[in-house]
Amino acid sequence: MTFLILSGSFVSAQDIKEIVRKSDEKFRGSSSSGSFSMTIERPTWSRTISMKSWALGTDYSLIYVTAPAKEKGQVFLKRKNEMWNWVPSIERMVKIPPSMMMQSWMGSDFTNDDLVRESSIVKDYTHKLLGEETVADYLCYKVELIPLEDAPVVWGKVLMWVSKKDYLWLKAEFYDEDGILVNTEILNDIKKMDDRIIPCRMEMIPADKKGHKTIMIFENTDFDVPLKEDFFSIQNMKKVK
Amino acid sequence: MTANIKLAWRNIWRNKRRTLITVASIFFGVLLSAYMTSMQEGSYDKMVEIVVKFYSGYMQVHHEDYWENKSINNVFDYDQAMVDQLKANTEVDYVIPRLETFGLASSEELTRGAAIFGIVPEIENQLTGIADKIISGKYLQPNDDGVVIGDGLAKFLKLQLNDTLVIITQGYHGISAAGKFPVRGIIKHVSPELNKSIIYMELKTCQNFLGAENKLTSLVVNVADNEVMSKTLKKLKSEIQSPFSVMSWEEMQPEIVQQIGSDRAGGVIMKAILYIVIAFGILGTIMMMIAERSREFGVMISIGMQKTKLATVLFIETLFIGLLGIISGIAVSLPLILIQAQNPIPLTGETAKLMEDFGFEPYMFFSTAPEVFWQQAISIFIISVLIGIYPIVSTLKIRAIKALHGYEKI
Repeated sequence: MTFLILSGSFVSAQDIKEIVRKSDEKFRGSSSSGSFSMTIERPTWSRTISMKSWALGTDYSLIYVTAPAKEKGQVFLKRKNEMWNWVPSIERMVKIPPSMMMQSWMGSDFTNDDLVRESSIVKDYTHKLLGEETVADYLCYKVELIPLEDAPVVWGKVLMWVSKKDYLWLKAEFYDEDGILVNTEILNDIKKMDDRIIPCRMEMIPADKKGHKTIMIFENTDFDVPLKEDFFSIQNMKKVK
Repeated sequence: MTANIKLAWRNIWRNKRRTLITVASIFFGVLLSAYMTSMQEGSYDKMVEIVVKFYSGYMQVHHEDYWENKSINNVFDYDQAMVDQLKANTEVDYVIPRLETFGLASSEELTRGAAIFGIVPEIENQLTGIADKIISGKYLQPNDDGVVIGDGLAKFLKLQLNDTLVIITQGYHGISAAGKFPVRGIIKHVSPELNKSIIYMELKTCQNFLGAENKLTSLVVNVADNEVMSKTLKKLKSEIQSPFSVMSWEEMQPEIVQQIGSDRAGGVIMKAILYIVIAFGILGTIMMMIAERSREFGVMISIGMQKTKLATVLFIETLFIGLLGIISGIAVSLPLILIQAQNPIPLTGETAKLMEDFGFEPYMFFSTAPEVFWQQAISIFIISVLIGIYPIVSTLKIRAIKALHGYEKI
């Protein structure tokens, strides 16, 4: 009798993994294309960059900058864990070297590494349910993710909040190996995008820099679009519009 | 008194060899210390000149956060009112706007870090005279879309005149700045450090490139010299209000001021040792002279010469020897140093490389500043006066009978 009552509210480890997988997949789809804007906020100024993006699985993505005019035409290509940057004003293809991976991407709070990171929040972590909390009126599972020994992950621990309804990823906190908070991601503005309901606005707040923030707004995204691997090529970087 | 001087002059030439040896020791002392001081001061002047004349100017106005964090984000708007306000000070010769940043300079295959200077060509030339340092090509014209680069940078990147230089950097508020610029001229910059990294660009072109329209990192405020600067600096510090700040080259380059200070202190010790050696040389000669002439003194006192008069003559003798040494020393070192100042000594090998690494020309420079000479003259003169006290004391103590018999140990 007691056992039965307990199992009613009990969520197994397998289920948690499933929850995380679903919320992750929601965001990604098997492939996607769309446009988004990125606003970099600093204590004394802010600026916005508009981009188009294409992605295939976790391995391939292409980003084309559409505004501001000065940077229009720049293209970033990610293939597995490598990254290239096409700069039309100097007609140069720059391969981002490993030493520059931890540097800021386009002056934002994201590093180049954030863009190319191969790790999967499903495969590379062990998941543990810590409880339930409410985030922005949504009742959420609070999940602790600890990276596996050999996973290519820079974090020591990740906490994420996934809504019970629709499995929406609403918040995440990234901790370093000493357990100190590095970044917080907050996702909101939940809307129907193509065939699914997802948060369309993401704020990334670095913990150690006061007044610094990067906001991404997904303007429109199509999921499961027909894209092939050869679209994500260096040749195509110069042609894509 | 004239008689005393005449006596003293004749006395010192009674033993020519002794006098000449003493004068020679002072002569070499003066020559050596003047030469050394000139060399030291010359190299300091050069250091300051490279910093002030070819780089920072005497003073600069920045955004108050700029010096701590030399980011392209800590810039300010060009404001004619502020320039006029600075120029309203009569001591201020000119005000030079600049936009400085760092970036990657690249040619076909090669890349290296570079200092990018956005300048107004004709105004900048007033301070640095860089137009004369162009070794090939032309200096920047107004509204030029090209660049003038350092000879060292050109060699490293294997760039020729009219080749294309690619610059990649981060612009204002984090925009990515990447552009192609034709090389209009190649400059042999005085500072080897800058020669290897400098890119001059027309201010408007640079502002455009960095997405920093009408923005500046610094206003160079130039005055005549260091003395005028310290006065003007005080005034400007009270005039220039937050969010701006004004700094002197000494504040911007404290390491140079410290380096000069510590080096100068080292030179003072060297010179002190030299002067002590000279002082004891003169003292030795004077003691010897008095001992040799004790019988003579005895006779003179016995026949009625006043001891004070004798002491005066001996004092003047000591001064004569000192003055002769000083005059001959200066007479030789002055033309020598003047010639050396025109022809600095080139350094070679490891030393030269070391100097270049520090950002200086590998030459020994000489200063012809008046203090190089009068400092030595004054020092030797003071030494002579001090030593002159010795014969005064000893003559006043002389006992005529004993001196006559040559018993008196003076």
